[in-house]
Amino acid sequence: MADIQLQNLSKRWGTFVGVQTMNLHIADGEFLVLLGPSGCGKTTTMRMIAGLEDTTEGDILIGGARVNDLEPKDRDIAMVFQSYGLYPTMTVYENIRFPLKVRGIPQAEHHERVMRASATVELDDFLQRKPAALSGGQRQRVALARAIVRKPKVFLMDEPLSNLDAKLRVSTRAQIKNLHHELKTTTIYVTHDQIEAMTLADRVVVMNKGAVQQVGTPLDIYDRPANTFVAGFIGSPAMNLIEGRMTGGVFEADRVRIPGFGGIADGPVTLGFRAEDARIADTGEIAAPVYSMELLGDASMATVQAGGALVAIKAAKDFMAQIGQPIAAHVPADICHLFDAATGQRIERP
Amino acid sequence: MSTTVADRRPASLRLALGAFLVFWLILAAFPFLWTLWGSFKVEGDFFSRADWMNAVSGTLTEAETGAPFTGDGYYGAWVQEEFWRAGLNTVIVTVSVVVISLTFGTLGGYALSRSPYRYAFWLLIIALVFRAMPPITLVSGYLLPFFEWNLWGHLPTTIIVLVAINQPFTLWMLTSFFRNIPKDLDESAMVDGCSRFQAFRHVIIPVMWPGVITTGLFSFLLAYNDFAVTSMLLSRENLTMVPKIESFLGTTQTRGNVMFAVASVVSVTAPLFILVMFFQRQIVSGLTAGAVKG
Repeated sequence: MADIQLQNLSKRWGTFVGVQTMNLHIADGEFLVLLGPSGCGKTTTMRMIAGLEDTTEGDILIGGARVNDLEPKDRDIAMVFQSYGLYPTMTVYENIRFPLKVRGIPQAEHHERVMRASATVELDDFLQRKPAALSGGQRQRVALARAIVRKPKVFLMDEPLSNLDAKLRVSTRAQIKNLHHELKTTTIYVTHDQIEAMTLADRVVVMNKGAVQQVGTPLDIYDRPANTFVAGFIGSPAMNLIEGRMTGGVFEADRVRIPGFGGIADGPVTLGFRAEDARIADTGEIAAPVYSMELLGDASMATVQAGGALVAIKAAKDFMAQIGQPIAAHVPADICHLFDAATGQRIERP
Repeated sequence: MSTTVADRRPASLRLALGAFLVFWLILAAFPFLWTLWGSFKVEGDFFSRADWMNAVSGTLTEAETGAPFTGDGYYGAWVQEEFWRAGLNTVIVTVSVVVISLTFGTLGGYALSRSPYRYAFWLLIIALVFRAMPPITLVSGYLLPFFEWNLWGHLPTTIIVLVAINQPFTLWMLTSFFRNIPKDLDESAMVDGCSRFQAFRHVIIPVMWPGVITTGLFSFLLAYNDFAVTSMLLSRENLTMVPKIESFLGTTQTRGNVMFAVASVVSVTAPLFILVMFFQRQIVSGLTAGAVKG
């Protein structure tokens, strides 16, 4: 058990920037998710913490001790790889036992610890099989068991669910959440799937192009996105973003007119709101013809073209409209987020 | 019973295919079978000027030795001419070449396959160029210094030259095998508590066995079958089997020596059959799969 500190951490390959001056404190026992699109630097960050990638600048501290110059094996971490990285020539039992064996833990303890780890992830029936004879979900559990068998200070998980089918992903996600609750080991989890981030994380770090965009609890990030990137990345569908102009407290764009922004300076701004916060009405701040209609099951999603963007509005599941039919949506100022048109940063409302 | 595609072919086509296969098999195997048969005859029969059928009927063999088959060729080669010495030399040379090539090949191949630098690629390209050269071009360059430094004629010299000739190939082949092993496997092992070398030894090499065996076999064949290097670099008393056979042929003034050569040719070929049979599973999996997928 230990906390992790990243201090001014950077990674560059020549002129290409992988991670740019990252500062982060991960508390002991915290479940932290690094979230971002592919190539955003989240995996690079994790690999630097693991010691599989050298740092260009900055320090990594685990439990207060600088680990930059330590080999991966000396950092007391365990890692679950996207492709699981199971040893194909060994049985499941030997795979789980391997970390104990190479670290010279007394033979007498091995059996009991392997059995405990395998019981935790329900692998008891497969111990004598080779990885090739397992399904994807079972392989994933072997990788988990191999990580927990040794009680490391830190768990690192690199998109561990991305090779599983959708159904298995949900159940394994719950298993990981439960496992963390039980073991209370500091965990860093890399994913590009925001649902995983929302469900698993104590805190989420949203990254893009090597830079941290926002750090916060899942709710924070959902309710108060720090910039247009986070707003457009989190949520399904992502937040509607409309570029327009603020004049005397009234936001205006093509087919959009939202009053009620007292105290906001005049000029170009980006306005954002979530589809589920708006509602269909007879008259409203947005009035535009329907671009498409989608039935989601518990609701339906109406999309209109307004302000030069496609704007989604959640409606009741029995709401029906023809494509091209004009509809209106009620979008009051208090559900809206404002972002600087030039920098994309959030504008706090007075 | 299910009908396969092969069963649905017309009878005439199947017959033609079968006949072709038999023809091809004879074409491929006949020279060896003929040599095997002839190695038990005397020279007068096997190389008869009067009638080639003598090789089949064995008229002279029966007249000279009193039996239709004779082991004289083998006796002459192995005992009289001490072919076993050449056999021993071959064992020393091939085993050394295989062991040394594989040691450097696995270590170097692993390093090259995991190297992030571009020069690894160019090293392999250069290796390919050296592999493509005929070995004899290297030998002519070696001869003079070897004479001057008094290294000529010894087995270790030959071993080193053969390793040098073989190494580009083993490096090239093993590198491509290692490349097929996902990097996650090394990294997994290193996080689990291995040093780089331990990861290589405990995790990567067990996965690599088919590749190592296939490469080892090819190295063995190169050393075993080599003529150019061994005949140029070894002294008369110190020859390996292949140049020794040539030395039997070189003295045809003496009757019977050519039969020694025939008998030794058979002796040299037999171990190859056994070897390929024994390792065929690994060779096939090594040649096709490359490695185990992650």
